[in-house]
Amino acid sequence: MCNSPTAAKPRLFLIALLLFAFTPVLAQHPAVPSAPPEIFTDVTQQAGITWKQFSGESPDRFLIETMGGGVGFLDFDGDGLLDIFFVNGGETPHGKSSVPVRNALYRNLGNGRFEDVAGRAGVDRIDFYGMGVAAADYDNDGQSDLFITGYPACALFHNNGNGTFTDVSAKAGVKNEGRWAASAAWFDYDRDGYLDLVVTNYAQFSFDNPKKCEVNGVRSYCEQVAYGGMPLTLYHNNRDGTFTDVSKGSGLAKLVGRALGVVAIDVNDDGWPDLFIARDASPNLLLMNQKNGTFEDAGVDAEVAYTADGAAKAGMGVDAGDISGDGIPDFILTNFNDQYHSLFFGSKTFPYLDRTVASHLAAMSKPFVGWGVKFLDYDNDGNLDVVLVNGHINEVIESTRGDVKYREPPLLLHNDGHGILENVRERAGPTFDANFVARALATGDFDNDGDTDIVFTTLDGPPHLLRNNARERNAWIGLKLQGTKSNRDAIGSKITVISSKARLVRWITGGSSYLSSHDPRVLVGLGQLPAGAEIAVEIHWPSGHIQKLSGIKPNRYIPIVEVP
Amino acid sequence: MVLVANTSRLFAHWRTRAGIQALALALLLGLCATPAAPLQSGAQEAEERANHGLELAQRGDLVGAEGELRQAAKLTPNNPEILGSLGTILAMQKKLEASATVFKQTLKLRPDDLEIRRYLAATLWQLHRFSEAKANLEVLLRQKPDDRQGRLLMGMVAENTRDYATAAKMLSSVPEEVRQRPESMAALARAYYHLGDEEKARGMLAQLSGAQPMLLGAAIADEMHDYRTAETMLESLRSQAPGDVNLEFRLALVQYHAGKVDDAKEILHAAIGAGPATSQMYNLLGWCSYKRGDSKEAVQAFNRAIELAPQEETNYFDLTNMLAANSSFPAALAAIRKATTALPKSPGLFEMRGSIEQKVGQFRDAEESYSRALRLDPKRPGSMIGLAESQFSAGSAKESIATFENALRRFPKDAQVRVSYGAVLLKQAETGDPRAQQRAEQMFRAALALAPDSAAAHYQVGKLVLEKGSVSEAIQQLEKAVNLNPNSAEARFSLARAYRRAGKSNEANREMDIYQKLKSEPRDANPPLQPMSEPRSH
Repeated sequence: MCNSPTAAKPRLFLIALLLFAFTPVLAQHPAVPSAPPEIFTDVTQQAGITWKQFSGESPDRFLIETMGGGVGFLDFDGDGLLDIFFVNGGETPHGKSSVPVRNALYRNLGNGRFEDVAGRAGVDRIDFYGMGVAAADYDNDGQSDLFITGYPACALFHNNGNGTFTDVSAKAGVKNEGRWAASAAWFDYDRDGYLDLVVTNYAQFSFDNPKKCEVNGVRSYCEQVAYGGMPLTLYHNNRDGTFTDVSKGSGLAKLVGRALGVVAIDVNDDGWPDLFIARDASPNLLLMNQKNGTFEDAGVDAEVAYTADGAAKAGMGVDAGDISGDGIPDFILTNFNDQYHSLFFGSKTFPYLDRTVASHLAAMSKPFVGWGVKFLDYDNDGNLDVVLVNGHINEVIESTRGDVKYREPPLLLHNDGHGILENVRERAGPTFDANFVARALATGDFDNDGDTDIVFTTLDGPPHLLRNNARERNAWIGLKLQGTKSNRDAIGSKITVISSKARLVRWITGGSSYLSSHDPRVLVGLGQLPAGAEIAVEIHWPSGHIQKLSGIKPNRYIPIVEVP
Repeated sequence: MVLVANTSRLFAHWRTRAGIQALALALLLGLCATPAAPLQSGAQEAEERANHGLELAQRGDLVGAEGELRQAAKLTPNNPEILGSLGTILAMQKKLEASATVFKQTLKLRPDDLEIRRYLAATLWQLHRFSEAKANLEVLLRQKPDDRQGRLLMGMVAENTRDYATAAKMLSSVPEEVRQRPESMAALARAYYHLGDEEKARGMLAQLSGAQPMLLGAAIADEMHDYRTAETMLESLRSQAPGDVNLEFRLALVQYHAGKVDDAKEILHAAIGAGPATSQMYNLLGWCSYKRGDSKEAVQAFNRAIELAPQEETNYFDLTNMLAANSSFPAALAAIRKATTALPKSPGLFEMRGSIEQKVGQFRDAEESYSRALRLDPKRPGSMIGLAESQFSAGSAKESIATFENALRRFPKDAQVRVSYGAVLLKQAETGDPRAQQRAEQMFRAALALAPDSAAAHYQVGKLVLEKGSVSEAIQQLEKAVNLNPNSAEARFSLARAYRRAGKSNEANREMDIYQKLKSEPRDANPPLQPMSEPRSH
């Protein structure tokens, strides 16, 4: 019976049926490779990014040689795709380059590739040693402008809207001349709808006066305490393309120290943006906006200025976000080896809670010198995680220590939802197993796939663009806010995202990390949501206006315009 | 009696100039009142040997005398006279330990022998075994309260043990004996100073005459901050011996102590110009320049002091300390390296080198330096602590803990070992060992039990309990810490924090102001590595 031609037909049919049945399954995912196991993939090469940082390293060992390498995500051409700007260092008296030292502006071509258009755009050259970048639309014309920091000046490039920029530094009055500027932040401190600018100045420094330090007879970079500190600079936006230096009147000029990092965020939820300044061997500052153009430092009261021993750590980078899930900003700072990077949980009253040890950040960061740092929800589970980059300043460290290296790995730290961090190096990707002399770090969703990507720079080396492979394993929502009464970039907005699972609070901050600028949009991970779930969003605009939206479907970017 | 009488003549011949020894021997010489016990019958040879020994001693042959008396003692081991004489001969040869042993043996045979007891007390005093000396003198004076030599010696012992009331009482009760000995006058003056009776102290010093006694008196006055008296005494000597470099130095030292730094500098420059300059002068000049903020001149002066006395540790310590206090750590490191090359057997210099290397983060080098210091002198708790701390800082936590455990065994009563160990355990706790914090607290509290006046232990306990939320206990501990060490910036800071948490904002602000002031002195510098050594009285 089985061998009869009649019996063969049903078998053939069965085989055909099986083939037919499986084919649609195969057809559904014909070209999608299985997701790579790592969380982040280094796509620098594929992206066509070939720029390298030049530090001007020289036998003089100027400290600035070891501090630069700013980077920023911005959409300079308004095509909805994040571009990347890299700030180069520069030559020093005995540290010359065989080729011109150039910045790079990589335009996102939309297919995972980038093209350097800095020359065409007019932002490739600056006449000072470059440090960091702060990108924002300072004149509310819809185009993201660029503020570049450095020594002994800064520069403001106005975006002309046609792929080019114009250096308006002198006209704007923001050259910050004679100073060594590090990070900068745009924020609207007086809530007039126009972005003002705070600049961190680092140290009293001159190329004419190399300080001589050595370790075991080998010339090395001097410790930061060999350099005196500097005051902060605050520029008020006059709304006509010019700025006024209000450092003295605001109270910032008297705060002399070695400032490196800044984040602007409303710390006490009074609707007015405050500033957290990370300073190097100087006490950190928590500058509370007094709502009258002045600021008062509450760092000591908040117990974020010093360690318990009264020592000032080497604060380099800083970020703010609600890692504890209580709706109040928390702060993370990067410091020097043996100091631990710091994590503070904000609260409605002072002091803040130092969670450095309890979060396990201390144990994980002890041997590292940290720089760029960001809160990000890399897996969109609704909890803010941490990414930071490390790298020492002195190669000779390895001759004096067994446990501290010159090149150090970046850290990707997963938050369990209660502020306990875990190093997920094994799944993070090969980049997190490698060692770098890293500096700035910026975050943004360059491929608009709903997860946060990363770019970081290295000293005298290439940057690294890391694509996040989380995709849509968890739900997310991306918000592109546009102020109308508020500043157009909506910097200073507080966003509450409400789902069936959680109530998540995020901010559009000014500044943050180290020498860096970030995706102006807000990407909020929502975890696993039931099919068809909708979310609500409440926005506290910088102008004070509150806007509520509901019935929003997740897993998309939505633009929200301020409706006064 | 013959034996004792011969001994007395012998001691008169051997009186020396050294202050302490002169007094001790004078006491021994004075002890000739008690009749000697009769020699035991049948010890003819012993007596002959003993007498021969004394004759040898009178001729200056103390070694031979010792030999004869030892033989005599062997023949008659229970003869207290022979033992007493032997003890005396040993004391005259400065074999003080052996002398004390023999005197103790003598007292076992004759516990009521007050002379021997006085001899023993004098010997113990010279050995700086003050509590034993005191015990014997108490026995003596209970039985013979008017024993003048005993009262004199008791006064000296009391002064040495800072029992100034007893010292004054005893010494003032035997004025003739005190007047015969400048050292006793100086001791009584010092006791009066400590008791707040400056007039009596000055009165005593005014009775001193002769160069050496007056120099001693001036040194006492200087030490007790009575600079005017010290100056007056030295000026008086100066008028009799103009150009005496030692006098010039001593006067400059007093001026320096009195804060008249410019006057001190002037004297020193003049003395150096007149020559011959001494290392001490340049050392003091270095300190004067430092006080005036002229680091360059200070370094030059210290270096010159080193050139003149390259084997003198003090100058290396002072130069390194000064450079470190000015935060010139590379220069401090270079200086201390030079020092350890010049004096490779100095554990103190290697320990200091380790501390500088620690300060600049060269932990591996620091480990080596501390290890070297310990090889040279295993009894240095500071070196052991430094080694353990350096090991921890260099990333060798296991070795560090092992070294600390070793230190606990070696120095069981050293509070600082516990404080430092506790501090390292706290760091361990911060990086993932929760039991380490508990152990750290145990260490700090044990340190307090050993040394209730340990500012560092109070500070650490205070800081720890503050983090645990016990604000009132924290305030208690930290207040003690700042009372014990008012210049501890970190204790001030922690106290400010504790006050703030307790809602005491005025107190918090006060402490923060002090903290800021302490941090700003000297400019941008960390505190000196060890207490700045002041110029010493020479």
